[in-house]
Parts: sequence; C-alpha cells; structure tokens
Amino acid sequence: MFKNILSYAGVFVTAVLLQIFLLDNISLGVYFHPLVYSVFIILLPLDTKPVWVVLSSALLGVVMDAMTGTDGLNVIAATAAGFFRPMVIGATCGRTVGPDDTLPALYRLTTKNLAWYIGSMVVLHSAIFFFMETLSLRHLPHMLLRLAVSGTAAFALSWYFVRLFVGKILNK
Amino acid sequence: MYKLIEFIRRIYVVLLFLVIEAVALNYYAHSSYYTQAKILSYANRVTGSVQGTIFGVKHFFTLRRENDMLTARVAELEGRLSAYREAAAAAQTDSLAAAVAADTLGVGLEGMSQYRYMTARTVSNSINRDRNFITLNRGLAHGVMTDMAVITPDGAMVGYVVGCSERYSVVLPLLNTDFRTSGKIAGDEYFGSISWSGSSPYEVDMAELSKYADIEVGAEVVSSGLSHYFPAGIRIGYVESYELNDSQTAYDVKIRLATDMTRLGNVILIENMDFGEVSALEADAAAGRTETMEFQP
Repeated sequence: MFKNILSYAGVFVTAVLLQIFLLDNISLGVYFHPLVYSVFIILLPLDTKPVWVVLSSALLGVVMDAMTGTDGLNVIAATAAGFFRPMVIGATCGRTVGPDDTLPALYRLTTKNLAWYIGSMVVLHSAIFFFMETLSLRHLPHMLLRLAVSGTAAFALSWYFVRLFVGKILNK
Repeated sequence: MYKLIEFIRRIYVVLLFLVIEAVALNYYAHSSYYTQAKILSYANRVTGSVQGTIFGVKHFFTLRRENDMLTARVAELEGRLSAYREAAAAAQTDSLAAAVAADTLGVGLEGMSQYRYMTARTVSNSINRDRNFITLNRGLAHGVMTDMAVITPDGAMVGYVVGCSERYSVVLPLLNTDFRTSGKIAGDEYFGSISWSGSSPYEVDMAELSKYADIEVGAEVVSSGLSHYFPAGIRIGYVESYELNDSQTAYDVKIRLATDMTRLGNVILIENMDFGEVSALEADAAAGRTETMEFQP
C-alpha cells in the first residue's frame, strides 16, 4: 500500500517535471504542445474512488499552475479530466467499475482498450486545455490541428510512460 | 432533512467538481484582461439566456390578464367605432346637426351609439349535441340581458344570449339547430338564412340566397344587419361550396365558420339599444295596430 503511494507520488513528480522542464521548453511551433502530465490521472488505479481522482487531479492542476503561472487553466483541464475519467473508462474499457464488479486494472486491459482509454483521456484533457486557453471557437480549425498534433505526441509519450510504469513498476 | 443529506451524499463528487471548477475559473478569469472579457461575455450570455427564459415563463402566467385587458379594449374601441359609423351615416342623411347639437349639450358620440359593448369569458361550452349552449361568467348583475349578440374579440359571430341569472348567462350559439340569423356575402346585398344542420362543428348552412348574388368559393359571409341581434358586417365565415336548390331560384351554401367553437375564451357582448323598441313596433304592426306609439322600455 505504502509502496504504491510512493510509486504514484513518483509518477506525479516525474510527470510534472517532464512537462515543465522538457516538453514546455521544446519549441516546434504553435501546434506542438503535448500535455503529458495528465498521464498521472490516467495511471491512477481504475478502482480509485471518484472523489480521490477529482482531488488528485485538482492538486496536479494546482501544482502545474503554480509552476507555470497559468492561473487556474491547468486546474480546470485536469479536474475535468479526472471527473470524466470514470465515464471514459466505462466507454473505452467496456465495463463499469463498481463495488460488485471485478475491478479491471491497467495491466489486464487489452492493447486496444488501453489505447482507447489513453487516447480518450489525452484528447479530453488537451481539448479542454486548448479551448480554455483561447476561449473562442473562431479559430476552430487551428485549434483542431493543434489538438491533433499535440494530442498525437502526448498520446505516444503517455503510451510509453504507461507501458513502462505498468510493466516495470506495478509488476515488480 | 434526511432526504436532503442523502441527496447531497449522492452528488457530493459533482458538487466538489463544480466548486473546484468555479474557483479555478474565477481565478483564471482574473488572470488577464482577455480572459476577463471573454469569460464575462460568456457569463452574460448565459445569464441573459436564463433571465430570458424566466421572463418568458413569467410572461406566460400574465397572458390571461393581458388577454382580458385587450378584450376589454377591443370592446371599448368597437363601441367608439360603432358611434363614429353612425355619426357618418347621420351626416349623409342631413342629421349631423342633431348629432352636433347632442355633442354640444355634453353627450359624447359613445352615448349616441345604438350598440353597447362589454366583455365576458366562457365558463362552459358544448359542441357535440344538436342543441348546444355556451355559458358566460357575466349575468344580470354585470349588465347582461337576453338578446345580446355574442362575438369573438376578432369580430366573428358566436351567438346570442337567451337566458341570464344574476352572475351567469347562457348563449344560443351558431352550433344549435334552433339558431337562425340572416347573412350575406360581404359587399353584396342579397341575404340568406343561416342555420346549422348539426353535422360538423366547423360548418353552417345558408339557404335562400338569391341566385343573382355574387358568390364564389372563399368569399366572406357576414351578418346582414336585418336580424336585430347582430349589427351588420359581423363575420360568420367563408363560402366552402354552393349549389342551386331544387327550384333553381336560390343557392344553398355551405359556410366554413370563422369562429373555432371548440376553443372559445373571451367574448364580446353587444347590446342593441333599439332592440326592444323595434321588436315592440314589429309586434304591434303584426297585431294590426299601425298608429304612432311611444315605446316604454
């Protein structure tokens, strides 16, 4: 239990540092802005109570905002992603997560389901973030292109991160 | 109280989410002028939309009062219009001087009108019998009396009053097989007899309309003014079909009613102030007494 908490704390710190010191400093144009720190929300155990997911996501957003000076933008996007996570799990993994259900776990998901889950979470988080950043639908095509480019990069990085975490740490 | 606690316990995650989002949104909104303006604009749009909906709901519940006021206003204006029409007719027959004299003596045009108007609301209405009746929420105490004409606020014929109590009155409508009045094609002088056969609540018949009448499908049919109940020009309906009768001397006409009797609300009552005088005169004439007499109401 304690080991698990430490593992997830490690994921939290790694995701935040990776985002702030690496990805936010790569300048490959306005369309490239992968938001990888949401991998922490993705990696939380699927049976985590929704209230803890929402609170952890909000905390993640607060830390990100404090580190990047975005004044609430990350809290809005991360908390929304955390709140909608149970619905995304239900839609992509094909089964509900409830007290009477056999709890699914990331390492038990098929590759297809895992890809859908990670992809949906990345797109959801990035879409909310980019929309709140512009607060306008006037340049929707540009926003969609940005979502496609950044979302693809974020998905690839998150996929690698999840496989690494599930394979190397959880299975130990 | 227990139910409230149970309800909050069930949705506390949603509440928590909304609270966090609201705080973050507030914080984000104040981070720059751009976000402040944008979010304020969205908030105003949402507020405006909600306020618009609330106003619409409130307005819906005041419609009845507004409708009553409008109907009363229509009745008042009908009375004035009637007075002006009569004044115009008086001028044409060189009796405007009398009208002017009456006006100078302090009698307004409204006071000179042959017709008096008032409003009422239907409280019951039947359409599925041969002899249907309508009950109104006005009676003797409000000035309603038998033989008053009843029309809709937009000027279509409904019927006439046949009975009154202190607070209610009963109307013999067009949809009663005992109902009779005279009608004509608008703009023409030939008249016919209007009655209801009891078949459809949307149609009445007009018999004995001269074959020289200028008739066509869709033509407007109005009251002729020959019946003492209704002033001339009250809309009855529109010609739906017509054919010459068996003797080939007159048309039998089917008329689509202008009034939807299935959804009557407010109505206007019209009193013909000369009704008693004219009726008494006609009764005496019918009895063979033709000397000049003074009418006693």
